[in-house]
Amino acid sequence: MGYRTFSELKESYAFILPLIIFILTFILLPVLGTFINSFFRDISFLQRKFIMFENYKQLFNDSGFWEAIRFTILFIVVSVPLEIILGLIFALILNQAIPFRGFLRACVLLPWAIPSAISGRLWELIYNYNYGLANFLCIKLGISTGPINWLGSSLGAFFGVVIADVWKTTPFVTIILLAGLSAIPMDLHLQAKVDGANFLQRFYKVTMPLLKPVLIVALLFRTIDALRIFDLVYVLTHGGPGGVTTSLSLYSYKYFLAGDFGYGSAVSVMLFVIAFTLSLIYIKLGRFAELGT
Amino acid sequence: MFRKIFILIISFLMVLFVSCKEKRGVVTFAVGGAPNEIEFWETLVKEFTRQTGIKVNILRQPTDTDQRRQGLVISLKAKKADPDVFLMDVAWIAQFSASEWLEPLDDYIKKEKINLDAFFNKVVNLVDRYKGKVIALPVYIDAGVLYYRKDLLRKYGYSEPPETWGELVNCALKIQKSMRKTNPNFYGFLWQGAQYEGLVCNWLEFAASNGGGIIFKDGKIGLNLPSNIEALQFMYDLIHTYKISPPNTFTEMKEEEVRMSFQKGDALFERNWPYAWALHQSEDSYIKGKVDIAPLPHFASGKSVSTLGGWHIGISKYSDAKSKAIKFLKFVISYGTQKKLALKLGWNPGRKDVYTDQEVLKKMPHLAKLKDVFENALPRPNLPYYTQISEVLQHYINAALAGKLTPEDALSQAEKEAQDVIERYERK
Repeated sequence: MGYRTFSELKESYAFILPLIIFILTFILLPVLGTFINSFFRDISFLQRKFIMFENYKQLFNDSGFWEAIRFTILFIVVSVPLEIILGLIFALILNQAIPFRGFLRACVLLPWAIPSAISGRLWELIYNYNYGLANFLCIKLGISTGPINWLGSSLGAFFGVVIADVWKTTPFVTIILLAGLSAIPMDLHLQAKVDGANFLQRFYKVTMPLLKPVLIVALLFRTIDALRIFDLVYVLTHGGPGGVTTSLSLYSYKYFLAGDFGYGSAVSVMLFVIAFTLSLIYIKLGRFAELGT
Repeated sequence: MFRKIFILIISFLMVLFVSCKEKRGVVTFAVGGAPNEIEFWETLVKEFTRQTGIKVNILRQPTDTDQRRQGLVISLKAKKADPDVFLMDVAWIAQFSASEWLEPLDDYIKKEKINLDAFFNKVVNLVDRYKGKVIALPVYIDAGVLYYRKDLLRKYGYSEPPETWGELVNCALKIQKSMRKTNPNFYGFLWQGAQYEGLVCNWLEFAASNGGGIIFKDGKIGLNLPSNIEALQFMYDLIHTYKISPPNTFTEMKEEEVRMSFQKGDALFERNWPYAWALHQSEDSYIKGKVDIAPLPHFASGKSVSTLGGWHIGISKYSDAKSKAIKFLKFVISYGTQKKLALKLGWNPGRKDVYTDQEVLKKMPHLAKLKDVFENALPRPNLPYYTQISEVLQHYINAALAGKLTPEDALSQAEKEAQDVIERYERK
């Protein structure tokens, strides 16, 4: 990639300058600020004091923090694969020449277009004990005799959140994968067909390898997004029952609200570290460097 | 090219900064709530401006208490000059005052001749004072009360609402059994058990009416007490043993869920705040005219206790219009405004003297009963780190209600964690 003149180089930097400024002010600075803050006792009603790793020490002995980590990781492990698998299936179907394809594509996108806070409220109503749709259906279909308190048990609340999230974000995966699928040249499939490859063989030997970079991107986006899940649990369960659905970001939010900014920052830094490590692993997996060439 | 983009960015940033500049000398009043409440404040502000010529901008906040608090914490932490004056929930006044975000009002009170005796003494002394200085004043007062269906009680031969929890259980069991024949969704007693601040208020009422509660002694917090265990066991039993409270009590039941269910005619008793009264009596309410109000029951050995709630008004230490803001504060807590608050919004005035106003009593006869309840209401611990203690309590009480922990385990773990919180925040 050679630049012919110095002014051309300058011009290209000028084009990305707004983005760099944006990233510096709105992403890098806050992250750095949070990092620094996590080494302080920054409580609104006490003297601000540098305390080194005190916040982190306390964090490691904090059962609530570990419970939040456990929920967050379990949530990722269960919801992301479900979203990827369902998203892939939808994308494969929508990539075929089926009737009403445009209409169906728009339909699939709908849940994604609804803000999480609203879809959380929606699911809250579906799970509602007295007049929720879930109980109505279960009783009508004879699955249960009386209403079930869906969000009342640890397991129920966990899957309540997972189902709501899968419903909401599968369309996102579908759209990304659909873009990847439509970029795969048709002749490759035709050629494979001529060579006698059946559907499964074509899927594994043609579609999957070519879809892999896009799949990794979808996986990366979804994992990071799932890691910082906040709005859905905030609306749906508020972290309950008994704290079993408190995510890391909800946990740090509670400290910010109470005026303990230092400790809240330490929780946020841990969240950042986890997100960063996961991103690095994915990037390594997807070999992004090779994509450019 | 480079210069053009550079100029564009600089001018963009300049526009951003200029538009952020606050208007000086105008009082900004942060308040949230339902649309009709905001509307009420808007007309009030107009009247104030007409009287005094002082301009007041309303900074509209959401209805949700946590979000209202979040908005204020961000502005105050950033030492912003706006908002100048705002309403605070009684549960976070201690945090705000200990953070020294609130302007002490004593000098202004003297200068503006505000009579503190017009307010509930206990409330002002326990909630609105920080290190001896008055830092806020009550705008309206809340305390938990028992709503009951007087038509049903009469029908089943009860002349009085229950005075003890035992009586409530017996009465509810009997009526619930009979009512279920026609209404399978009927429950004896509804209260707030979801994991949120309201749960702590409910638990405190049960526990304190058994002689328990949150006890502080020599810098140690006491939660794991026989009286508290018994009260928590009773709350569990209401849901799981007597089954007079619905199974979704500990997952979904907050004020509005409880109110709507009761208002639909699906319950005999309801623990709620006084705001529900006006709604229960509204035109489209199924229970209009069939409901009455009473102090909460107590355990055989204890006495009735209500948790104190409500909103108070204070002035920011960073305000750039303090002398004007105090005039507005005085207006909000004046007899005339407080009376309007009661008549137009059905709120319980922070001023004691409004409770004997004939016009108010005619429209809201239940206020006469509430005055005593408010006078003796129990405030939550007045600590700047109360929120963290409350988080611990919410978590463990909710876990006990869900059956994940026994009441004793829940309270002993809560006590230990609450003690950790105290030690962390008491360290200087």
